Amino acid sequence: MKTIFSKGLVSAGLALAIGAASMFASPANAVAADSYPDKPITIVVPFPPGGSTDLLARKIGEALSSSLGQPVVVENRGGAGGTVGANYVAKSDPDGYTLLMGVTGSNAISAALRDDLPYSPVTDFDPVSIVISSPLVLVVREDSDFKSVQDVIAYAKANPEYFTHGTPGVGTSMHMTGELFGLESGTKLLHVPYKGSAAALQDLLGGQINAMFGDILVTSEYVKSGDLRPLAVTGTKEHFLLKGVPTIAEAGIDGFAAFSWQGVFAPAGTPTAVLDKLYTAVSAALETDALKEVFAQRGFLVEGMNPADSKAFIASEVDKWTKVVEAAGLKK
Amino acid sequence: MSEFLANIQLGLSTALSAEALLFCFLGVTVGTVVGVLPGIGALAAISLALPLTYYLDPTTALIMLAGIFYGAQYGGSTASILLNLPGTATSAITCLDGYPLAQQGKAPLALFVTAINSFVGSSFAIVLVMGFAPLIAGFALKFSSTEYFSVMLLGLVAASTLSVGSPFKALAMVVFGIVLGQVGTDVNTGMFRFNFGILELADGFGLVAVAMGLFGVAEIMANVGQASGAPMGVKGMRFKDMIPSRSEWKEIWKPTLRGSVIGSFVGALPGTGPGIASLMAYAAEKRLSRDPSQFGKGSLAGLSAPEAANNASVQAAFIPTLSLGIPGDAVVAVLMGAMILHGITPGPNLINDQPAMFWGLIMSFWIGNLMLLFLNIPLIGLWVRLLSIPYRLLYPAIILFICIGVYSADNNVFDIYVVLAFGLIGYAMRKFSYPATPVLLGFILGPLLEEHFRRAMLLSHGDLTIFLQRPISLVFLLISLMFLGSVFMPGLRSKLVSRVRRNAPSDDAD
Repeated sequence: MKTIFSKGLVSAGLALAIGAASMFASPANAVAADSYPDKPITIVVPFPPGGSTDLLARKIGEALSSSLGQPVVVENRGGAGGTVGANYVAKSDPDGYTLLMGVTGSNAISAALRDDLPYSPVTDFDPVSIVISSPLVLVVREDSDFKSVQDVIAYAKANPEYFTHGTPGVGTSMHMTGELFGLESGTKLLHVPYKGSAAALQDLLGGQINAMFGDILVTSEYVKSGDLRPLAVTGTKEHFLLKGVPTIAEAGIDGFAAFSWQGVFAPAGTPTAVLDKLYTAVSAALETDALKEVFAQRGFLVEGMNPADSKAFIASEVDKWTKVVEAAGLKK
Repeated sequence: MSEFLANIQLGLSTALSAEALLFCFLGVTVGTVVGVLPGIGALAAISLALPLTYYLDPTTALIMLAGIFYGAQYGGSTASILLNLPGTATSAITCLDGYPLAQQGKAPLALFVTAINSFVGSSFAIVLVMGFAPLIAGFALKFSSTEYFSVMLLGLVAASTLSVGSPFKALAMVVFGIVLGQVGTDVNTGMFRFNFGILELADGFGLVAVAMGLFGVAEIMANVGQASGAPMGVKGMRFKDMIPSRSEWKEIWKPTLRGSVIGSFVGALPGTGPGIASLMAYAAEKRLSRDPSQFGKGSLAGLSAPEAANNASVQAAFIPTLSLGIPGDAVVAVLMGAMILHGITPGPNLINDQPAMFWGLIMSFWIGNLMLLFLNIPLIGLWVRLLSIPYRLLYPAIILFICIGVYSADNNVFDIYVVLAFGLIGYAMRKFSYPATPVLLGFILGPLLEEHFRRAMLLSHGDLTIFLQRPISLVFLLISLMFLGSVFMPGLRSKLVSRVRRNAPSDDAD
């Protein structure tokens, strides 16, 4: 409790300092920020209700509404892998009243993969905070001959395009992680896209495909039941839901790291003071028990990056996935 | 056996609690209402209700959400029968024979029969969920894209004969449906196809928008400008108008059972849904019927089979969901999301880890379906009275509901334009007597056929014989062949016969 309190104080102090600084820089913003928020805030979730992004947005929304003193409404605008909702927020007024719960696909990979997006994930948003990250896990069936990452690499080297991995679709973080795996191990896996991760999981359980770079929480249930075997996680360290499972880097591909992440975004041009006020509220929310429970249950790793770090992070992600897209020849 | 009884007892103790009963009733009532209202379907209603359940106990929340889901299947047929407007996208097929029945003044009978069909279909599938869920789910896992392709092919072949009128127009409309289904994202490459730069079309047209446009909005437009009266004169309805006669019972029970079997099978296969189930059941019934010419003119068999099938499919969708953690269709996927929100991750351990929830949910299905039966039969009188509402009040209200329904799926105004555009298309189709059902058929099955064909090719590295090598796939291909044979054989035979006859007189003349 004490740490929460002191951390909250520090970030509040920080926000005050930044707020004061921006007051000198731009008085108009300061006025807006002083009264902000004086009406309800909408967080757009670019997916249908019931997913992990929806859950996170609603929990953060609850915490924000009690700390900011205004209702926070979560609005689900699904479609096209999150890009419909992201586009909507990109075109909204940059006043801090319309925010996006953006993800790897909508706010980084799509920039690398598509020329026909009506928005730019880099220039059309001011990130408030990259809130969480979540590694994936390379899983095979329990009765599979693949016992390790090395087995997979050896097989895939000998049989290019015969090691099959299923994903929820082209341009998802599961797909990109598979491509990155191929590039960094010098192999070529066969990408088998599905409409959604459940269909891919169904074929993995049925033995129609070899592997999946799957969601930690969902696959850990099948690991517990003895249906699937985890070979490695894609993060930089052991994951608390899959104790004893090595990282891909430890298992033989040096420096390999791939995450999916989620964050709160505002349209580009949002006053800095508003962004900072939001960031302060978000980072305080991350310390609440309600959110900690979600993180533990859902297998999320807390990031809580500040706006500047988040902006730099997005740029680095777009850069990283653009290289993968180009090297793998996926550009559409 | 004693363990089974203990499980049932456990389930009942959960499902019979005051709170569970209340939310079950709430769920099935909301389900019936959204089912009856054209345009607002189970998916939209559950998506809207989901956030409200964040504060409920998980089992109670699921009981309520599931109640909306299967309750909507009961209500869905009401508007189809009375107004020729499908209440949900999946009950479009019920219009074919339900509306003619209503025109013959048999609306109370048709509504009563669908309530019974729905109950039988649901019960059949719930028995399967209770007794054989893991077994059936294990069988469903054997279905790879190869098998899915063959099943969908059978569906397309079987259903291609389901409309009345010109077979060429019907075929043209199937193709039109398939073309509409091409709009969207190419699964294998991720390319946007035929979306003309409109991001909202990147997922293709929504089934609800297409079905509600072609059937609902088009029906309303076709009636605009007609006499300002009410749809149908209703005189006092007597209880015995609802009850089928002995010969009518005879006509109903076999199609209902066959519909239940087909619906359960389709529902247990993940990635399908009640729409496909009812189309297939209707097609099978028409093929098996001694008098297919009655279909589309108010056949009780044509009403019963799809109604039993869509309910069975909805209940059977819980088989893969609860025993594998793989959602049977899009609506159950949202229900699974609800479980995760409540800290329960659906997976292969669910039945063992959460017996109270699993058995409580199953028992609530029984309770909910009984409630629906007793809710729906007295409501028949009320629904029939809807027919006495004048057009000028009824139709604007329905258009409004359709717009709300398609909008609420994704909170996107674009979908309203889509449904109105399909209304215009559907109106034009009616004027030139092109049937709408084949469009829906091509639209639902076409993209699935393509997706599974291409994935099968990807996994077999382009080997076409894969469809013959896999036994389940081979069986379905052979059945498809038999269907094709049975379609062409009578025609062929009659052609031969007529040729012989034509030759015969000419022989005489000689």
